[in-house]
Amino acid sequence: MITARGLTRRFGDLVAVDRLDLEVRKGEVFGFLGPNGAGKTTTVRMLAALIAPTSGEATVAGQRLGAANREIRRRVGVLTETPGLYRRLSARDNLIFFAKLHRVADPAGQAERYLRLFELWDRRDAAAGSLSKGMRQKLAIARALLHEPEVLFLDEPTASLDPESARTVRDLIESLRSKERTIFLCTHNLDEADRLCDRVALFNQRLIVVGEPSRLREEMYGRRTVVHLVEPRPGIEDALDLPFVKSVERVDDALVVSLTDPDRENPLLVERLVELGVGVRYVNELRMSLEDLYLDLMEDDDAPA
Amino acid sequence: MHRLSTILRKEWRESLRNKMVLFGVGFLPLLLVGVSVYMVVEGGGTDDPIAQVVLFNTSLMYFLLLPAIIPLAIAVYSIVGEKDQSTLEPLLATPITDLELFLGKALASVIPALLINWASFGAFLGITSILLGGLPPHVLTLPWLVSIFGLSPLLSLFAVSVTMLVSSRASDARAAYQVSSFAILPGVIPLIIYSSQKTLVNLRLVGIEAVVLLVVSSVLLRFAIRVFRREQILTRWK
Repeated sequence: MITARGLTRRFGDLVAVDRLDLEVRKGEVFGFLGPNGAGKTTTVRMLAALIAPTSGEATVAGQRLGAANREIRRRVGVLTETPGLYRRLSARDNLIFFAKLHRVADPAGQAERYLRLFELWDRRDAAAGSLSKGMRQKLAIARALLHEPEVLFLDEPTASLDPESARTVRDLIESLRSKERTIFLCTHNLDEADRLCDRVALFNQRLIVVGEPSRLREEMYGRRTVVHLVEPRPGIEDALDLPFVKSVERVDDALVVSLTDPDRENPLLVERLVELGVGVRYVNELRMSLEDLYLDLMEDDDAPA
Repeated sequence: MHRLSTILRKEWRESLRNKMVLFGVGFLPLLLVGVSVYMVVEGGGTDDPIAQVVLFNTSLMYFLLLPAIIPLAIAVYSIVGEKDQSTLEPLLATPITDLELFLGKALASVIPALLINWASFGAFLGITSILLGGLPPHVLTLPWLVSIFGLSPLLSLFAVSVTMLVSSRASDARAAYQVSSFAILPGVIPLIIYSSQKTLVNLRLVGIEAVVLLVVSSVLLRFAIRVFRREQILTRWK
């Protein structure tokens, strides 16, 4: 649905986006993660045909960037970092205005449909400026969806929202996933990305890594088992001489064991510990968060070569 | 055309909800019509020919100020308002063309300015006719009519171009308003010339001003259209 090859954007001497290669599949929620100033918004602006790349090429919703910019803008929806609503106009007038610009067949009907869907119908005549932050964000998402775009770019959709409103917006994104829309999600909220995204890309002016969150974690950290012991003996970690154990680390009363195939090797590990006369309280898998992965990769990226 | 009219209607709807714009568009014409009527009625009653010339020329000047002041008020709030509300990016993310957006903004300012100006001139004629028992002397002349109907669109165009250029670099409506205010100068300059020559509005001076305005407005318009490109708006505007 989105393909970018060597996409680059410079502002004078500053390289905002450097040779970005990317493939986003139809119907997936794709997380685009990176620190402030990484070039995420510039990337979205290029892919939404708002600004031209300095070099490189891309296709969005089957249309070539540069050759069919207007067609791309017809086929994509953009939620900008701030809701960007006309404060003096009512919620309904805001939607009708954008529906008309997109030449939606029945602007008023479509506005009503989305106002009802996002539970804003009761506030339809209220000035957009008088709505709560969460409502404004929902209205902005509704605006981005009015023309039923094939690709939806969401730039920090839950930033500056209270937890309740953020949850509402996340639920909305979840519901959109089931409608086979491609969602390109820029976010700082790594927990949100972990929960919502099929794949994520870590980006800091250039692409660092891309993949499914669970697979990236596995590739980076491997799969690790934590064995909580009843009475840990000194030197027990050295006694675990099994061939499939890649590494053992003692953390308080627990052993963190790196294995190749925990599903098969965990019972053998526990068996060996019992043989060694060590009581096992319980066993669980150590799950590294996407945040750990992000921070480690960003640190590596910042480190001098 | 469809998108252009959508922009126009949205601009007007927003303007009607903005007190600052309403003041410029509603109160000012009323005030200036009142003052113009007073001057023409007073001028008709004086025997001093120089005083009469000044009074008549000044009353005409008000109808050359309105076509500049009204678009200034609308355009400043229209553009700075978009920046202030961060609505430009969502707007530019639609299939609207740069020219449609520019024309929408420009016409949303020029059309009401001309209609209000001409309506004000009509009201001025009506009221002075009633007060003087007929059309006021030296008013319904060709130079006056050319000024009101020929110069007004050029003055509006000039004001809109200046305002759009200034507003693209300003983040505060009041600052943009102040800087753009010099756009009313072309409406004031003729009065200074007429007063120094102690002559009534004449066709030669109106023609010269029209040509100068046409040239300057065309140049400014080209700059304004260039500033109104999607890429410029998103990357260069403050």
